[in-house]
Amino acid sequence: MALLQISDPSARPTPIGIDLGTTNSLVAYVPLVGGPAMVRDCDNEALVPSVVTYKDDGSVVVGRAAKALAIEHPRDTISSVKRLMGRGADDPETQRLAPYRYATREGAVVKLAVAGDRVVTPIEVSAEILRELHQLAVDALGPVGGAVITVPAYFDDAQRQATRDAGRLAGLEVLRLLNEPTAAALAYGLDSKQNGTFAVYDLGGGTFDVTILQLDDGVFQVRSTGGDSQLGGDDMDRALAERLLAHVADEAAKADPGTVRAIMDGARAIKHALTERDAVDVELELPKGGALHARVTRAEFDALVRPLCERTGLACRRALRDAGLTPEQLDGVILVGGSTRVPCVRAYVRELFGKEPLDSIDPDQVVALGAAIQADLLAGSVQDEQVLLLDVLPLSLGIEAMGGVVEKILPRNTPIPAAAAQVFTTYAENQTGFVLHVVQGERETAEACRSLARFTLRGIPPMPAGLARLEVRFEVDADGLLHVSAKELTTGIEQQVEVKPSYGLSDEEVEQMLLDAYDHAESDVTVRALREQRVEAERIAVATRSALDQDAALIDGAERAEIEAKLAAVIEATRGDNHHVIASRIEELDHVSRNFAGRRMDRSIKQALAGQKLSDVERETAHAEGIDRHTGPRKDEE
Amino acid sequence: MDPFATLGLPREYALDSELLERRYRDLQRALHPDRHVHATPAERRVALGKAVEVNEAYRVLKDDVRRAESLLALLGHAAKDSAADPELLLEVMELREALSEAKQARSLPRVRKLAAEVQALASTTRRELAATFGELPGDAAPAALVRPAALLSKLKYYKRFLDEVNVIEDDALSWIEAR
Repeated sequence: MALLQISDPSARPTPIGIDLGTTNSLVAYVPLVGGPAMVRDCDNEALVPSVVTYKDDGSVVVGRAAKALAIEHPRDTISSVKRLMGRGADDPETQRLAPYRYATREGAVVKLAVAGDRVVTPIEVSAEILRELHQLAVDALGPVGGAVITVPAYFDDAQRQATRDAGRLAGLEVLRLLNEPTAAALAYGLDSKQNGTFAVYDLGGGTFDVTILQLDDGVFQVRSTGGDSQLGGDDMDRALAERLLAHVADEAAKADPGTVRAIMDGARAIKHALTERDAVDVELELPKGGALHARVTRAEFDALVRPLCERTGLACRRALRDAGLTPEQLDGVILVGGSTRVPCVRAYVRELFGKEPLDSIDPDQVVALGAAIQADLLAGSVQDEQVLLLDVLPLSLGIEAMGGVVEKILPRNTPIPAAAAQVFTTYAENQTGFVLHVVQGERETAEACRSLARFTLRGIPPMPAGLARLEVRFEVDADGLLHVSAKELTTGIEQQVEVKPSYGLSDEEVEQMLLDAYDHAESDVTVRALREQRVEAERIAVATRSALDQDAALIDGAERAEIEAKLAAVIEATRGDNHHVIASRIEELDHVSRNFAGRRMDRSIKQALAGQKLSDVERETAHAEGIDRHTGPRKDEE
Repeated sequence: MDPFATLGLPREYALDSELLERRYRDLQRALHPDRHVHATPAERRVALGKAVEVNEAYRVLKDDVRRAESLLALLGHAAKDSAADPELLLEVMELREALSEAKQARSLPRVRKLAAEVQALASTTRRELAATFGELPGDAAPAALVRPAALLSKLKYYKRFLDEVNVIEDDALSWIEAR
């Protein structure tokens, strides 16, 4: 059966879910029959180490093979790259105990010098991992459709943008960035079909997340989220490695990248061994000669790890507080992430929440399985009407006001998608420009928060201080990504500025990177754009026809004829080979469909508020209200 | 914007929180972007706008201070805070002093004890506010809104205090790192 499925050229591409982890990455899918499943390689392994080696000949190795090269090529082998995503080159985190060559110590993006005279960004390194996972999925499943990529809930906007850019660079259609704890809850929730309030405690290789969410008949509503995007199993390894390094007498060896790497690997192996045993005797051959002998007991290791656990505890308490809950009110605690295998972490969670944590799904796989479910919900063949994820913004978004104080525009834990606007004014006479500094974080001063973007709105006519009215609008989409725009209101000339955060990549940059990576000619890019526009046009045609079929009662003859004419023009354009023409015809169709779309949505709202069945509402709209009532704004909105 | 109308709820302060949650979920089932992945761009845009509006209305109604503000505005009260009662100011000042001492001493238990005190004061005020709003007629005269507005500003003082407690608790993260 499976073989037939793979070789069937007409088969629908399979949507995939990707857990792009600090230490390991995984890819999963939902088969035609049954629950989500892992994609495995030819050795039946689901885990792909998130390790990339750049070789002198320009080739790139990913996964276990790269991990094997790490000791020999410590500077050209990048591991835990997730910790560098969305970070500036001058960030202290960037410099911590990593043996890499940094190409620059300043700027918005980390750049690493690797073999073959190449300079790569964390986005490119992550894209290599994603390409490997994509290939793994294609080998196992045949054609692969869109992907859901998971991110730590506590990732800020820069880290999310970087992840999405990595997906685009890898040539994936990124359906959604999904928060890891939410993905895990999805996998558990659909497994157990239980309602209630749960905490998801997710301690991965490099990040810690806690999410409090409520399950109610298929709706997964996140109540609050918290965490630390720089805390994980890596830190346990590091703490232990620092202890082990003290045993190395030779000062020169301590500074050697190969030695550091070997000891880090040794520390990780000891950590794993200590989950089963109470003490481990270490004998480590060092690459520069000599060996390291030490005995590490579970008690010693627990003492090293305890402060890390306590950091997670404060984040958990805060998340509970934000959700307005006490530990007793929780129905369960779900463990996610390989680091929750460490016995003292489990003991800590048990103590903190006062209940035995749930771990029936492999903590390494649960996030990828949840991502696969979401990918299937978004792009799969079966639309499940019952399941819906309602997520929140993890960190407050604001603007730096006078005196460096942050004016919060959207507070953390706001349900997304969300939008908010704030009006600012000038403080100087005849001020003609505004400098806006967008920040993210909970601290009160802009300096202590994450800086996302700075931009200037120019061309304001000179006027007395305090008269100009600058409206800054923040929009956060369902991926948790921020879009900022600003306009000056008093002059009548509304200025609109789209803000591109400084750390993100522009579409042109991504395009250029693709060209560089593959040596594509420009015509290939055009061919791709045409193919994508055709698919988009086909999709829209199907959606428009189905809307017209479903809701004939909501549309009169003239409007219907207009939409059908524009639809025909779109179809005709797809037979040509100019993607710009297709795009502009889609735009025209969109323009004439607006009112119809509005009426359909108003009808859905009515139905949702009344809890009525579709058929009842249709009867009501057709007979009692007619069409005209639906064209104007609803009364309660005025 | 009338958040009560957006969620199809009666305009009252003592809200049925279960009904609020149910309405919110029912509306998001219809409007959330994930529900319109296969729809036309026009529908996706309209649905997104409405989903944002529903989220905002939900956020206002869930927050006791913002819900009261919105209710007062809908009843025609000007958005000015009424002048604070000197007795209240004195009370809050003393509480703040105690809080800043507890913070200096880096004593989380003391901070939490103060928070519990203020929490209790806030609960009482909330009950009074609900009772006052409950007695208001739909076409209340501006003079009738003075008392709920005064109670609201009292509640805001307490909430601001509790926000400060939250900041201190968050800072406690760095106390551990510094250890």
